[in-house]
Amino acid sequence: MKGENDDSFSMRDFVTGAWFSSRWALFFVSLILLSIIIANSMVDDWGRLENGGSNLIIFIEESLWPPDWSVLEPQDYPVCLAAPGFSFTCSTAWIGLIETLKIAFVSTVLGMIISLPISLFAARNLNSPWVSYPARFILAASRSLPSIIWAIFFVILVGLGPLSGILAMTVYTVGYLGKLQYEAIEGISRSPLDASRAMGHSWIERSFGVVLPEAANGLISQAIFMFEYNFRHGTVIGIVGAGGIGYYINLYLKFLQYDKVIAYLIIIFIVVLLLDFISIKARSYFTEENDVNERGWLGFISRITALKKSPK
Amino acid sequence: MDDGCVISLDNVSIGYQKNKPLIEGLNLRVNSGEIIAIVGPSGIGKTTLLRTIAGLVPPLKGGLKVCSQTNPASPPRGELGYIPQRLGLVRHASVHHNVMLGALAGHCSPWLPFSFDARKSAHKAIQKMGLEEKRRSLVRRLSGGQQRRVATARTLAQKPSLILADEFLGELDEETMLIVMDAVISYVDEKNAALLVVEHDIQRARKMADRLLLMKNGKLVPYVESLEPVEEE
Ligand SMILES: Nc1ncnc2c1ncn2[C@@H]1O[C@H](COP(=O)(O)OP(=O)(O)OP(=O)(O)O)[C@@H](O)[C@H]1O
Ligand SMILES: [Mg+2]
Repeated sequence: MKGENDDSFSMRDFVTGAWFSSRWALFFVSLILLSIIIANSMVDDWGRLENGGSNLIIFIEESLWPPDWSVLEPQDYPVCLAAPGFSFTCSTAWIGLIETLKIAFVSTVLGMIISLPISLFAARNLNSPWVSYPARFILAASRSLPSIIWAIFFVILVGLGPLSGILAMTVYTVGYLGKLQYEAIEGISRSPLDASRAMGHSWIERSFGVVLPEAANGLISQAIFMFEYNFRHGTVIGIVGAGGIGYYINLYLKFLQYDKVIAYLIIIFIVVLLLDFISIKARSYFTEENDVNERGWLGFISRITALKKSPK
Repeated sequence: MDDGCVISLDNVSIGYQKNKPLIEGLNLRVNSGEIIAIVGPSGIGKTTLLRTIAGLVPPLKGGLKVCSQTNPASPPRGELGYIPQRLGLVRHASVHHNVMLGALAGHCSPWLPFSFDARKSAHKAIQKMGLEEKRRSLVRRLSGGQQRRVATARTLAQKPSLILADEFLGELDEETMLIVMDAVISYVDEKNAALLVVEHDIQRARKMADRLLLMKNGKLVPYVESLEPVEEE
């Protein structure tokens, strides 16, 4: 409190009072230095980087390129019954892709249904620490292993196939989405909660009448994000036999048919880009910033229903 | 039968840190049917006092009785209506939804999510505040003054026996302000409820209140006209 009535302006004020804080700059520089030192302690020979480039070129020229698009052709067996022109729907790429999408969808929905109540308990602004910390522990536990480890676990338990994929991704979704959800819930402003407490609402009334509507935009946009995330990770869990397009990738990796693998990867890449785009578009309906030109999330739903109803 | 809701503060200290009370030695009684206004400079602790009475901040010291409950962690359901300075509306929900939240607290047990009484009461309150046309609009798309009226409507629909109102007449034009003020005052008269209002406008406060209190220098004292020049200083 010493300089309170002191009008003089020292050099120190000039440095620390800049629009950026010089302390932050210092902090980042030391962070970068630290990471260089740590990396250096692990890497014995930086010269390996030189070979990396040439190795990559040889790899691409000899086995990766061009992609083998036969993965988009129908399989020999079972016989393809699709209409002509739609025969790609019998291809391994298509079948795997659709399966991955289905797994992602189901596990996102299941995961959300399970995580929502847990995250309501986990929110510190709604519960005492005695309730919120156990709930957080459950969420953290199911998030602590990456979904591929859960997939290995469930493949052991219930065998190969999409079921173990769904279970694995659901468990991971509960942990990850639950964390996003309780953060969204804790982010709502305090005064609606104050008013609700003063009125004497019960926990259920407060959760469903105040918290969920107030946090709905965030919750919905995170669920959409989670779906996209689950699709990306769904490609990986197939590698351990938990269904989806990853199964075929793993197959051709084993046979060293890298040109087919790259074809799958390109397809996944395109779908991820597409999903990303759709997800950004859809999520923009649920944020307040877009309120000016969009009609919010109720408007989004009414727009969908209006599309269905319109006769022409 | 209805002995009304009474606030009584007995040597209470309020604040957020034990060693730094904002106001000390608060003694205050509010009887049913009474309207009391508190004025005072910004940041002195007026909102904190209301939040303490509403059971949202524990008093640092002393005895607090609200609606015959001593040191209430939470006041009895529906008895206490609170119009926060920041309104406390569910911004992403409709006007109707917000007013129903108040009506439910006042008319239903916690396990009954709906009642005809609550609906009627909500409808009436919305009408009184002149918000029928906006009934279905999201609160976040209303103007500042409209939002303020939604908060008042929520409390009127609740039919509490004690209202804590924190600058509930802000952002309103003279005419609307009078409508809102009249609605609240006539509610208080009708139901023999108590009203504790924080108001920065002394003219308005004088117009509403039976008693005026001034919060200043860590104390709550009766407002005396002669104090006014001191306050202006
Ligand atoms: N949640 C909180 N935690 C800690 N301190 C707070 C909190 N809320 C308010 N304060 C502090 O308590 C003091 C009193 O705040 P309060 O909101 O009661 O003032 P007020 O009299 O209502 O002012 P105004 O007329 O501007 O609304 C302020 O200095 C404020 O910074
Ligand atoms: Mg205030």
